Amino acid sequence: MLARFAALLLFYLIVLPLPAATTLKIATIAPDGTSWMKQMRAAAKQIEQGTEGRVKLRFYPGGVMGNDNSVLRKIRVGQLHGGAITGGGLSAIYADAQIYTLPFQFRNLQEVDAVRRVMDPEIIEGLHKAGYVSFGLSEGGFAYLLSNAPVKTTDDMRGLKIWIPEGDEINARMFEALGISPIPLPMTDVMTGLQTGLIDTIASSPIGAIALQWHTRVKYLTQVPLAYLYATLVITEKALAKLDQADRELVTRVLQETFSGLDAQNRQDNRQALEALQGQGIDFVEPSMTQRQEWEKHANTMLQSLSSQGLFDAAMLKQMQQLIQSARSTSSHP
Amino acid sequence: MSLFVRLLTLLLGAWLTGCVSLATDRLANNLSQAMLNQTDPEIVRSGAPAYLLLLDSLIAQNPDDQGLLYAGARLYGAYAGGLVNDPQRQQRLTDKALEYARRGLCPETPGFCRTMGEPFETFALALAEVDEGEIEGVYLYATSWAGWIQAHSEAWSAVADLPKAEAMLQWVTARDPAYDNGRAQLYLGVIGSQVPPTLGGKPEVGRQHFEAAIAFSHGRDLMAKVEYARHYARLVFDQPLHDRLLNEVLEADPVANGLTLSNIMAQQQAKKLLQDDYF
Repeated sequence: MLARFAALLLFYLIVLPLPAATTLKIATIAPDGTSWMKQMRAAAKQIEQGTEGRVKLRFYPGGVMGNDNSVLRKIRVGQLHGGAITGGGLSAIYADAQIYTLPFQFRNLQEVDAVRRVMDPEIIEGLHKAGYVSFGLSEGGFAYLLSNAPVKTTDDMRGLKIWIPEGDEINARMFEALGISPIPLPMTDVMTGLQTGLIDTIASSPIGAIALQWHTRVKYLTQVPLAYLYATLVITEKALAKLDQADRELVTRVLQETFSGLDAQNRQDNRQALEALQGQGIDFVEPSMTQRQEWEKHANTMLQSLSSQGLFDAAMLKQMQQLIQSARSTSSHP
Repeated sequence: MSLFVRLLTLLLGAWLTGCVSLATDRLANNLSQAMLNQTDPEIVRSGAPAYLLLLDSLIAQNPDDQGLLYAGARLYGAYAGGLVNDPQRQQRLTDKALEYARRGLCPETPGFCRTMGEPFETFALALAEVDEGEIEGVYLYATSWAGWIQAHSEAWSAVADLPKAEAMLQWVTARDPAYDNGRAQLYLGVIGSQVPPTLGGKPEVGRQHFEAAIAFSHGRDLMAKVEYARHYARLVFDQPLHDRLLNEVLEADPVANGLTLSNIMAQQQAKKLLQDDYF
């Protein structure tokens, strides 16, 4: 009897293995309750239901796992399986992931769309080669200069205490070449820096400036996109490879749909946030086209020298610039 | 993206009447106390609209009566924040609460009120000049504004106003740290626990406000512990603190003068929060 039972048990163990539930641990700096987290939690629910509980997503929101660098470190040691990382942060695993965030490239969102249609798949492929699966890029918006004195020219920047993110070598070099010494600070110190006067000028997307309350410490916004920001959710190929094929397809589909929705939502949010900044009494200043072109030229000279040092792929920058030029020549926008 | 979560139910404890009209004073007071001490939120949910209509009609008859306007701001804000779930109704009701608060405060502080839409620095300078005697109006305006921002948090123009509402609450606690039995501290605790430290937030400041709110209510305000758990403990991922606070809420006797209704609702929310698979 016992032997039969054991045989039966063995049969079930061999023939009908109970699928083990996989929990994918994912970190993000977005706090719980934000629309970002609400949509991620909705996606997690859909995945858990669709896979009958075989795949769960566990979130670590609000930056409890640290900034981009520490999240990537924790992914490498296996403590996490994925994270929502910014384009700049991703450059640590794939240098060209920062290509959209290079300074003074885009003039408007039509140019962004023309580039992203072609180059998003290339960035996703580049990340995949580095062992990370991305489910689509989500717009963070243009970063603008926010200051306490109007900035229309390079001369206007002199004397300002301009913040750049700690470790942002590209922007540090760009400002230095203009004869300006920016002040590198970690994100954690920006608000305190603005409050104490250590810095008086920042670059931020409109939604970032409002969400982090930086908008209360500035009076002017220069209407020139400095950089195009984005973030994406990456999960390691290693973790996804453990899922069975159907589950993996479902996870991919749901997360891709979620990211596509977030991408569109963020565009609307930034448009609205820009209006809200104006509503808060922040003055918008518009430099001349000649000045803008000068900044673009300066940035490109500097980027050429940086690409020769291997900070990113020169061919990829060239491709992006050609796409922008082609969008510019067919558009009514300047 | 709206960075802050619900400010729900906070206004409940502020539900004291300010009616100065002698004819209605006692009625209004008794009704408010009856609602605040009610152990069944459903009764209040169903009964409060009648009192809202009564207040509207009294305000219509006495459009400049500050006491009635403040009572209107309190009641509409409390009802919208604590007892209404429909987002569109919350928006309409908080519009009205803010409007009543504005009509109550602004005739006293016209210079300050003109800076509401100005840059933060201008606003903060004008706020510093407001007379200390306006503490009730400043508090009510700030809490009505916070409730309004919560209800309109999909709009970035609303979210951008949050630092101003926060500054008004700080103005209140700087003059009376225990104001409204610690509820002003509770609002500041919630607002201070929205931005994570990784992004430059100072949730420790939020934590101090929560601790102050609990201390000033002598531990009787259970909503202070619920919001402490929901906002601070979750933000910093402190599960032991989260669970301890919520279990204390569940084990406490909810009956406390002026806080019973709020405490019963706090217990309902504590139960739900403990069931969430958050950590």
